[in-house]
Amino acid sequence: MRSKIAIAALAAAGLAVLSTACSSGNGFGSSSASSTPAATANKSTLTLMFGSSGTAETAAVQQAAKAFTKQSGIPVQVIPASNLTQQVAQGFSGGTPPNVFYLDPLTFQNYAKDGVLDAYPSSLSNAGGFASALTQAFTYKSTFTCEPKDASTLALYVNAADWQQAGLGAPPANWSQLEADAKKLTTGSRTGLTIDQTHSGIDEFFYQNGGTVTNAAGTTVELDSAQNVAALTYLKGMLTQGIMKFPSQLGAGFSGQAFGENKAAMDIIGNWENGELQADYPGVKCKVYPLPAGPGGTQATLSFTNCWGVPKQQSNLAGAVEFVKFLTTSQQEMTFAKAFGVIPSLTTAQAQYEQTYPQYATFVQELSYAHPDIAIAGSTQALSAFDSALQQLASGNPASILKTAQQNLQAVVNQGA
Amino acid sequence: MTVLVRPEGPRNPPAAGGAGARRPLVTARTREAAAGWLMSAPVIVLLLVFLVAPIAMAAWVSVSDWNGIGSPFASGVHAVGGQNYQALLTQPGLPQQQLGESLRNTMYYVIIVVPVQTALALGLALIVSRKRLTGRGFFRTAYYFPSITSSVAVSILFLYLFGTAGVVNAIVGHLGGQGPNWFDDPNGVLHIILSGLGVTTAPGPLASHGFLGVSWWDWLAGPSVAMVAIIALAIWTTSGTFMLIFLPAIYAIPADLTEAAIMDGANAWQRFRRVTLPMLRPALFLVLTLGLFATWQVFDQIYLMSQGNPAGTTLTPAFLSYVTSFQDQQWGQGAAIAFILFALIVVLTIAQRLIVSDRRAGGAS
Amino acid sequence: MRPSAQKRRRLAGRTLLYLALVLFAVIYIYPFLLDIGTAFKTETDAAAHPLSPLPQHWVLTAFSELAQQDFARWLANSVVVAVFVTLGRILFDSMAGYALARLRFRGRSGLFAAIIAVMAVPGVVLLIPTFLVLKQLNLFNTYPGMILPLMTDAAGVFIMRQFFLTVPPAIEEAARIDGAGIFRTYWSVVLPMARPALITLMILSFQGSWNNFSMILVAHSSPSLDTLTTGVGRLVSGQLGAGSQYPLQLAAALAMTIPVAVVFFVFQKYIMRTGEGAVKE
Repeated sequence: MRSKIAIAALAAAGLAVLSTACSSGNGFGSSSASSTPAATANKSTLTLMFGSSGTAETAAVQQAAKAFTKQSGIPVQVIPASNLTQQVAQGFSGGTPPNVFYLDPLTFQNYAKDGVLDAYPSSLSNAGGFASALTQAFTYKSTFTCEPKDASTLALYVNAADWQQAGLGAPPANWSQLEADAKKLTTGSRTGLTIDQTHSGIDEFFYQNGGTVTNAAGTTVELDSAQNVAALTYLKGMLTQGIMKFPSQLGAGFSGQAFGENKAAMDIIGNWENGELQADYPGVKCKVYPLPAGPGGTQATLSFTNCWGVPKQQSNLAGAVEFVKFLTTSQQEMTFAKAFGVIPSLTTAQAQYEQTYPQYATFVQELSYAHPDIAIAGSTQALSAFDSALQQLASGNPASILKTAQQNLQAVVNQGA
Repeated sequence: MTVLVRPEGPRNPPAAGGAGARRPLVTARTREAAAGWLMSAPVIVLLLVFLVAPIAMAAWVSVSDWNGIGSPFASGVHAVGGQNYQALLTQPGLPQQQLGESLRNTMYYVIIVVPVQTALALGLALIVSRKRLTGRGFFRTAYYFPSITSSVAVSILFLYLFGTAGVVNAIVGHLGGQGPNWFDDPNGVLHIILSGLGVTTAPGPLASHGFLGVSWWDWLAGPSVAMVAIIALAIWTTSGTFMLIFLPAIYAIPADLTEAAIMDGANAWQRFRRVTLPMLRPALFLVLTLGLFATWQVFDQIYLMSQGNPAGTTLTPAFLSYVTSFQDQQWGQGAAIAFILFALIVVLTIAQRLIVSDRRAGGAS
Repeated sequence: MRPSAQKRRRLAGRTLLYLALVLFAVIYIYPFLLDIGTAFKTETDAAAHPLSPLPQHWVLTAFSELAQQDFARWLANSVVVAVFVTLGRILFDSMAGYALARLRFRGRSGLFAAIIAVMAVPGVVLLIPTFLVLKQLNLFNTYPGMILPLMTDAAGVFIMRQFFLTVPPAIEEAARIDGAGIFRTYWSVVLPMARPALITLMILSFQGSWNNFSMILVAHSSPSLDTLTTGVGRLVSGQLGAGSQYPLQLAAALAMTIPVAVVFFVFQKYIMRTGEGAVKE
């Protein structure tokens, strides 16, 4: 009967669609195969995806890309991401990751474990020229997998005009002085101090008070300690007094914006703020001081770094590696440092940086007592829950915040072990 | 409808290629069947490929350990049974807690949005359908206009309206109060009311026991202040659409029925209760069903405005599913959350139909 | 009741009615006025005078900033997606709707039941699944990948079927008598009669695809494929949305709403008429 034939034809057509789909590319039962990358770079466009700290960084990265294209003839598309981790993850899932992207230590752990990164440092001659702490952050199972691009530490930014107006002299050297200074600097229209309301803006207080986040081996989470509770209590006290406010309370997206708009007189933020101030808030005169020490005299800060991630399976592996080689020269790193204030990752460039910018020597000096930010594989959700709780510190209970975060992070560590 | 038996005659053309009277019947029928399937074919293919196949794939992913790289059917991906569902429903931990929070938040969202938008839509339809109204077209357009804009544009509008120094707070300021930091305030509205009445901390048993990782005290928190802003957005946006559903139903009420009620001495409120409302029951039913169906799926606004913040009080299952998969690369868990949501919506819709049709069968109509 | 008292009651009632109408109209329209006004304000003006829809100084900074974003590309992509989805839906849904309404074939009721069942699937549940299928078919980050999932529409089939059921069979019979085949009957005779239903379907499809955010979001990751919704969405959420750049965001919201508003006002009577039935105004 014709109708039966019609049904059969339809079914066949449907099956044909699905099976051609299966046989092309990522088919049923086959892992995503791709041809081995060419030994020499082809001229296909490279995509560089990154999370920008502001207009200064975006402009600097675009200029570097243009310079590389001029030198090598390989076009580069620069993509500032609104959610870098998510967009890179989407790229990997869709089979089209960016050729080069900013990779932070935490996400690095995830991708290294999945085995999707190309361990290109072994093929580059400058692999030995990086500060060891930075190299460690990007080494997985003894393989140096990703070259660090820069380093940043948290320091205390102070609005020079407000400081003078309040009649203050030397920078705060410890917690009680920080509190006193914040009180003096708080007026009706601006608050004394602002910090970022996440673990990346708060954890340094733990270290300053003699506490820690994990043990040395990284196998036990030690957030729930008396020292850390005391640190959070100290911060909560300043919040309740109104002498410290989080950026969202000041109507700003991050603490640097609040500081630039003089909604806060002091800001604890990293050296990437230099570029932000240069580009968007040129009128602000500021001074940079090392972070005050804890009650026991311990100095501590947090260090941040990113590396140039290069996926193994991509459209132009050799070209990507060549691009990274271009980006990790002393000259290029100094250009970035000048543009948006990060500290170079190459030791040679670091020395140059200290000489060229004595006013930012603080950041380099702080590297000696800086602790890396939390980087436990698979901890994104737990950390964002921690951040949510920290955001409510003013009305929250420090002990229970830390206890919950400890439980959640320990569960992640146990899972990964 | 084609006539099945056509007598041979001068009016009708002789059947093509057939000898007896029976043959043309068979040919016409099969041609019709083939045409029917062919014309339905594109829709069928699209539904198979973009509805049936995706759900099947997601079902597989939800019981697998796929990490997002490569194909979910590759050889390195293993079945893990109900592990993902366990982590979400029975195992205490962060995934269960976040699912519980998302369900709680959405529950309050639905409980508030559906009745208010239904009542508002009905109210607007009633006043816009009054006889001899000048500017009827203008008012109708005004109330419906927000519904045609995209969720992105409206989210931007409401982020602006409810900003810390925004329009709503300016109005509150003019009225003498001080508006909250809307999108930063995680305090539940019920908790705020209770603390106004003197109950500031959780009573013992409510705090120590819970469901899905959220204590009973937190289940009773009500929507957070941030969620209230999003609730306002939902009501503002969709009441116009539902107004358009009520309008023809209102116009369909026979005029003599209303006149008879007036003759009997019924006042406006009695007319509404005894005449209008019963006649609107089908439309009401439709609006409630559509409302329930849509509110449980809220995603766009959360993604654009709050991303679940502050403190997870604007998390919804749809957004949680997205973030778990696309951001944290926990694809199995994300797919599992999507199916849990699917099941929940199906159950609620069936329950709602049973409840309302029960009332219909029981009461006079 | 004495006539004057009755008249006064009625006047009071009327006044209350119009007050209510105007109050609600303000609530529904004022945010759009603010949108238009703030798009022409400076950032400080927007922060200082949130209630006023009139800028202190009319500036075009927000729009020039918007132009620096990839606005033209977003617009082009939105147009491509909306046009193809609308055309596809009109074509396929009307064919299937006609087949379900007028053609007899075995399995027709089963197919119709399946279509109804499909309408019960919540769209949001399909986000991850659609991504998985697009990836498997190598359609991720392609235009077909953004268009085809949106073309999948059971409600449109339902609407068209409902309409075709109301077409008098005599018309088709006449066409058959004249020798027209099934498809010819459908295409040249019945379909032109379906103009109101087709226009409704066209408006719903255009609106649905132009305004769609979540499906487009999961169908691509490359910024060159962003439509207005996902492109502007980037301005709002995530890192690029940090900070309060209200005039820029509101200018973007304004610009992306204009096409839909134009379509709405042009075809308004169809939208409103479907809601009103046969009542003349």
